[in-house]
Amino acid sequence: MSQSPDAIVIGAGIVGATTALALTNAGLKVLVLDRGSIASGTTSAGEGNILVSDKEPGAELDLALRSRDAWFELADDIGGGFELEAKGGVVVSSSGSESLRNLTSKQRDSGIDARDISSSELWELEPHLSRSINVGAYYPQDAQCQPMLATARVLQAVKQRGGDVVTGSEVLAIENRHGVVSSVVTSRGSYSAPVVINAAGTWAGAIARLAGAELPIAPRRGFILVSVPTPHRIFHKVYSSDYVANVASGDADLQSSAVVEGTQSGTILIGASRERVGFKEGIDYSVVRILAHQAIELFPFLANVQLMRVYRGFRPYAPDHLPVIGQDPIIKGLWHNAGHEGAGIGLAPGSAQLLADTILERHSFMNAAPFSPSRFSTVSSS
Amino acid sequence: MEVRYQVIVLGGGPAGLNAAKYAANAGYEVGLIDAGTRLGGQYWRHTGREEFDQSVHHNFDQGSLLMDAVLANPRITVHSETNIWSASIINDEVVLRTNNGAFITQRLILATGAYDRSLPFPGWDIPGVMTPGAAQSLLKGHGVLVGKRIVVAGTGPFLLPVATGLSSHGASVVGLLEASSKYSWAKNLLELLRNPAKALEGIGYLLALRGRKVEMRFRQAIVAAHASADGSLESVTIANLDSEWKIRSTYKLSCDVAAVGWGFTADTAIAYSLGLALDVDASGSISVVVDENQRARQPNAAIAIYAAGELTGIGGADLALVEGAIAGLAIAGSAQDLKTLKKRRKKLLRFAQALTKVYPVASGWKSWLSEDTTICRCEEISYSDINEAREEFDASDARTIKLLTRCGMGLCQGRICGRTIADLMNSTPQERISSASRPILSPITLGEVAQEGLL
Repeated sequence: MSQSPDAIVIGAGIVGATTALALTNAGLKVLVLDRGSIASGTTSAGEGNILVSDKEPGAELDLALRSRDAWFELADDIGGGFELEAKGGVVVSSSGSESLRNLTSKQRDSGIDARDISSSELWELEPHLSRSINVGAYYPQDAQCQPMLATARVLQAVKQRGGDVVTGSEVLAIENRHGVVSSVVTSRGSYSAPVVINAAGTWAGAIARLAGAELPIAPRRGFILVSVPTPHRIFHKVYSSDYVANVASGDADLQSSAVVEGTQSGTILIGASRERVGFKEGIDYSVVRILAHQAIELFPFLANVQLMRVYRGFRPYAPDHLPVIGQDPIIKGLWHNAGHEGAGIGLAPGSAQLLADTILERHSFMNAAPFSPSRFSTVSSS
Repeated sequence: MEVRYQVIVLGGGPAGLNAAKYAANAGYEVGLIDAGTRLGGQYWRHTGREEFDQSVHHNFDQGSLLMDAVLANPRITVHSETNIWSASIINDEVVLRTNNGAFITQRLILATGAYDRSLPFPGWDIPGVMTPGAAQSLLKGHGVLVGKRIVVAGTGPFLLPVATGLSSHGASVVGLLEASSKYSWAKNLLELLRNPAKALEGIGYLLALRGRKVEMRFRQAIVAAHASADGSLESVTIANLDSEWKIRSTYKLSCDVAAVGWGFTADTAIAYSLGLALDVDASGSISVVVDENQRARQPNAAIAIYAAGELTGIGGADLALVEGAIAGLAIAGSAQDLKTLKKRRKKLLRFAQALTKVYPVASGWKSWLSEDTTICRCEEISYSDINEAREEFDASDARTIKLLTRCGMGLCQGRICGRTIADLMNSTPQERISSASRPILSPITLGEVAQEGLL
């Protein structure tokens, strides 16, 4: 293996993997490092959401739209194999029609296929939905993949195209010479490259600190409930429009709104709680109870479906909820692609393309300025 | 519903029954929680029909007396058919959520026992292939004979009572196969002879089986099972094994049931949820670490958690009884001298350890697998699926294999295949311990989870 590749990507999750592939496809020799196994951190707790429906108009939505298409291009590029499916999203409102209709109207202006639907259309899409819910919107672009398999397939392509992936190598130091990144020291050897990319997800702040930089990325805990396999009765990603507000909320307290979907294996997944409690271990059963309650409000039949498993993840979030994509303002040659919060799977290939274009000084599909890492230092110095 | 007890005992087998009895006799109000319909656990599983129960147990009188004593004790409340779906520590109390409400205590005795260890082989998912424990439980608990022509196979002393029970209730035991060597006893003879009662029990089974023309064949194992056109078990392939359990030669035997077991795996899921210190031995077996009073290690000083029986190391019913007694007395802070009990425990522990050495599982079983052998039955994941993830994606640990293939993510949540995957992937002790994590300990309806007032 080369000790001096063209670029080093720290983090073998979905963001690191897609970034490595974008650079590899541009002709660079890329080395991916991870302290654990592939996709063993943030990615392993993801549901595989590729959503455009849960975003308010703005830079993140532009990124999400491009990224959604980039997922399908990526599947063509590497031959699929990660259960990518445009299953569509259904958003329902329990607080009247006005707020949801406002949201869909704004989203349509931004280029999303957001369709206001009648109650009968709603119940046709989801026949088991509670009859007390009669306002909804349909988003045919919402999609889904299996994030672990996607990461594995993308990294496989990186290797086949000349890159390297070294797992079980923890980054111990990132050295710089006069403010320019020079080498990465790991538990399994040192490497040097002119481009070092921090794609460490929830742990991106710690990687930045190793380099002498700063990145305000913190964990936002979430639980996902998994039912026993049952006959297929939920056909889309179905969630309450409260979810959109929760995603954007800056509150540290618990926010929860059920996102319910069926999977190919027959299980039903129920997310999504959001809390800022640090890397808190264990399961908070009061949160599990709230999610179960909210899911039953959407689909009453769930009351009689058995819960089989609960798992926990930590979303990497930045104070303004936007991902961090771009060069570090202090350490040159250190690039960040992190902080995608709960949307990392969906935003990964778009973010990878945007970062690769920025590094290679190519024209990109959008302006990366809203995601610049320097936005935090500007705030703190003012 | 929320119920508090001074002491809660989990499990109504030998260890749990004795723990409850001794803690209650020391003056505590005890709640005994058990998943079964009747007390007794796996060991004293029974139908309630006295004559039948006597006929399927080696020593049912002892169990019967103990169960009666527990049921008659005014300080013990028994909660049967109660399944715990989560266990956690909240505000210095242990909170156990069940299908019958929440149970809360500061003094807990875990006696959750063990279940059969299964190893995969081609055809082990055919109906008719089961564990010896399942065959025995159907007989002991329901009076149901699982088949007519039965092969009992695997390793360990448990195969003997199972074969004897099936045979004496009308089944034809056409094969009794012990994968270990006939001579592995000899190496540990001294320790084994320290427990003459157990040795005699074993000889008793062998004599009873010989009377029915059932001979134990050593260094043999079922390495494949075959289904008939209707999908049920028709025959098994039996191999003569070398010392590493690799196949030397094979022959076929027709049968309608194969009861195959490879010792036991302790049920450590609740112990893990409560943050108890766990240990992994050389065979990959996980157990709860306890001190000389059976007290488990966990960080919260306001709470006392004890463990007894198979959970602290596979050792059989006699050892479980003694450990249960010690745990019950110790948790109650009883002034009673534990010296005699501890002496007896020491003797039984040495016997248990010697037995473990007689019946090691050799790694050659991995060579019995073919590419299409099912590894995870719930999710129908084959050996080739696992090898593909290993080779194509460089997945080098059990967790990554699980996340990539769904192996162990089905209904049993890895109880059956978890240890197999850990063996196939050469998991570290720490990886084996974390794989015991099951935030939902048994399936529970979302409706029950959603109930207001739930902690």
